[in-house]
Amino acid sequence: MKRLKKGILFFLTFFFLLGLCSAAASRITAGCRGCVRGRSRVFAGISAEKKDSLDVIFLGDSESYTSFSPMDLWAQHGIASYNCGQSSQRIQETYYMLKTALQTQSPKLVILETNLMFRDPGLAENVLLTVGEPLRFYFPALRYHNIWKSVFDGPKTDADSFKGFPVHSDIEPYTGAKKYMQPTDSVKKMPAHTYLYMDMIRKLCAKNNASLLLVSTTSPVNYSYPKHNALEAYARRYNIPYFDLNLDDRAGIDWEKDTMDKGDHLNLSGARKVTAVLGSYLMENYSLPDHRGEKKYSDWNTLLEQYQTAADRTENG
Amino acid sequence: MTTFQLILYILIFLPLCLLFYRLTPQKHRWKALLGFSIIFYLMLCRELSLILYLAGAVLITHYIGIWLAWLQSEEQREIRESADSAGKSREKEIRSRYRTRARGVLAFGVLLLLSILAGLKYYNFLIRTLSEILNGAGLSSSLSEIRILLPLGISFYTLQAIGYMADVYWGRIKAEPSLAKTALFLMFFPQIIEGPICRHSDTAEMLYAGKTPERTDFTAGYIRIFWGLFKKLVIADRLALLVSQVFDDYRDYSGVVVAVSAVAYTIQLYMEFSGFIDIVIGSGRLFGIRLPENFRQPFCSQSAAEFWRRWHITLGVWFKSYIFYPVSVSGTVKRWNQYGRKHAGKYLTRLVTSALALFPVWLCNGLWHGDRWSYIFYGMYYFTLIILGTAIEPVRDRVLSACHISADSIWLRSFRILKTWLIIFTGELFFRADGLKAGIHMFRSIFRDFDIGNLWDGTLLNLGMSPADFAAVIAGCIIVAAVGHIREHSGSISTRIAGSSLPLRWGVCYALLFALLLFAAYGDGYQAIDLIYAGF
Repeated sequence: MKRLKKGILFFLTFFFLLGLCSAAASRITAGCRGCVRGRSRVFAGISAEKKDSLDVIFLGDSESYTSFSPMDLWAQHGIASYNCGQSSQRIQETYYMLKTALQTQSPKLVILETNLMFRDPGLAENVLLTVGEPLRFYFPALRYHNIWKSVFDGPKTDADSFKGFPVHSDIEPYTGAKKYMQPTDSVKKMPAHTYLYMDMIRKLCAKNNASLLLVSTTSPVNYSYPKHNALEAYARRYNIPYFDLNLDDRAGIDWEKDTMDKGDHLNLSGARKVTAVLGSYLMENYSLPDHRGEKKYSDWNTLLEQYQTAADRTENG
Repeated sequence: MTTFQLILYILIFLPLCLLFYRLTPQKHRWKALLGFSIIFYLMLCRELSLILYLAGAVLITHYIGIWLAWLQSEEQREIRESADSAGKSREKEIRSRYRTRARGVLAFGVLLLLSILAGLKYYNFLIRTLSEILNGAGLSSSLSEIRILLPLGISFYTLQAIGYMADVYWGRIKAEPSLAKTALFLMFFPQIIEGPICRHSDTAEMLYAGKTPERTDFTAGYIRIFWGLFKKLVIADRLALLVSQVFDDYRDYSGVVVAVSAVAYTIQLYMEFSGFIDIVIGSGRLFGIRLPENFRQPFCSQSAAEFWRRWHITLGVWFKSYIFYPVSVSGTVKRWNQYGRKHAGKYLTRLVTSALALFPVWLCNGLWHGDRWSYIFYGMYYFTLIILGTAIEPVRDRVLSACHISADSIWLRSFRILKTWLIIFTGELFFRADGLKAGIHMFRSIFRDFDIGNLWDGTLLNLGMSPADFAAVIAGCIIVAAVGHIREHSGSISTRIAGSSLPLRWGVCYALLFALLLFAAYGDGYQAIDLIYAGF
């Protein structure tokens, strides 16, 4: 019994110390976003946004952050949004990304790019993510454990990211079939853990009075009709709106110019087209406030100027 | 085993095994260990059928042991019976007859195990070599390589199995009557991947006893595991970035960069291998099982021979016990000794005797590491250096004595250590290089465009490691060197800490845990690195 008590005390002390480290790590990252590198930067980025300043949160993998530009939504409709997409984001990360965002934000709409719903990293990694993500959420020292490196390596500038959207100028044409969405009745299966975490995401959105919207971005490499069927069935079952940009020609994607890696991801030009269509869809279906002109959002206009400069530089070669 | 699997092993598998082990009655605990070992092996096997090789090795080892024990008991029975009737001359004849039979049985078992190992490990090497010879002679070869998956730990458990059979043959141990216990001895889960290569007398008794570990075992075990993880995750996995960049594209580099990469690989290999062995020994300790040490501050060595007494100790001990000694007392070497003393003088006789006994040791050492000429070169490299060391020993002693230099002077010791470092770094350069040709190319390229200024002009920062990574590696190496210094002079640190006051024990555990959580090379920018020696 004495040994058990000692064991419990050991772990309690450990978690107390980890909590102290986490508080310190959160403080450092809030003051120095450039100190965080790699995928964790998105967590630091969304945490550093002004409290209750965002109406739309994007979640998803690289398909999300290469397709939806918050600065274009701002310029066209005054929608304040942030793209929380991460490369190869797993759905466990998606859930805790949303929880992180909801710590400081009260979005009206959460847009989930659906590509990650089909990702299955295997049992072992799923177990590790299922255990590891809550630990990283409650103890941010684990997520930001590399911040000490900036003492030696120097902080990394945040200039390449505009509310989570990086400007990609590369062009590598897609040369496959233009009509890649061939109607069929077959349905692509989603892994079991997707259903579990989607339930959690839906409940979290409902609890925070945020609407959930599923969006599939334009990508001939990642999307097909069987995937569309699976997503449509899922959306219908849970009464969630679903918008598949692969079946909407309004964006007018030119596969010669609008993709950076042969149809896998869109580049800036493609993203701006897709964002314009999504913006119209949001204006038609949701009542999102236009914050342009509000004093609280004056820094958005400054960022928009920087974004326009970066975009002009990219578009003019 | 990847870093990912290693973490799962430490966080999930090991605690579950410990819990189950403690709940199992003492007399059945060895069965629990066997069960964990089978589950562990099956989980790590890339193909389930590969466990059949291990099962085959267990069967061969066990029944050869039983056969040898039966021959020994038959020999004793016949001697007892003959003692009543025919006397001593008959006893000699019986002993000789049974010795021949037992030797045959042992040879059969050893050949069987070695042919499985050789078939799996060297078949493609043989085909490649034959094809090269035939191509060189202008002949075409229809032989082609085949895809062979190596069973996990085959190089380690095969040596352990051969050692067991030889020990039964020599009467050092009794044959294990239980097949399941033989299986546990060969496949105890912490050591199956990278050793240490244990002798039956080292571990069997502890494995089968199932004693409840003491509190100090538990604390010392976990401290050792965290220490091993520190060496691997903080130092080795960082250095892997630089090492793989230079060795994978070796034609792009020369001079200081290649020299630094050889040093970096040596440190990486040491930190990773010894770190994993720390995890293995710590895991064993949690169950109250003391596995033999595999490293003893190898970078304090003053010669190549001493280095191999401190590096991968259990492999060296195995070669010494089962190759060096048998060859040393073999008929050929005995005959040479007799002939040499009469005709060649004491010095040359001793030198040739050493060479005769050491040559197969180092050839096997090279071959054991894998099917590459560079590994054979690696073995022959150390063979040559050790024989050279023996050859110049009398001259060196005479020079030192003439110059009135004490062999124990700090300057001479430091010089010897530095010289040994050079030998080690050069050896590891060939060991890591992608083949012998690549090794030669890299070695020669060190002397091309050699500019010492590359050490501080930023060149090294373009090799995958950032300044922070270098800082972590340097700090980590200083800590490991300091701990090594204490171990060298005062023995095991983990045991001493485990027996100390609670604040010190917990303080060390927390320091190691937080060093791992905050400074380990995981997450963004790092990749999980497979264990190097698990590939052998």
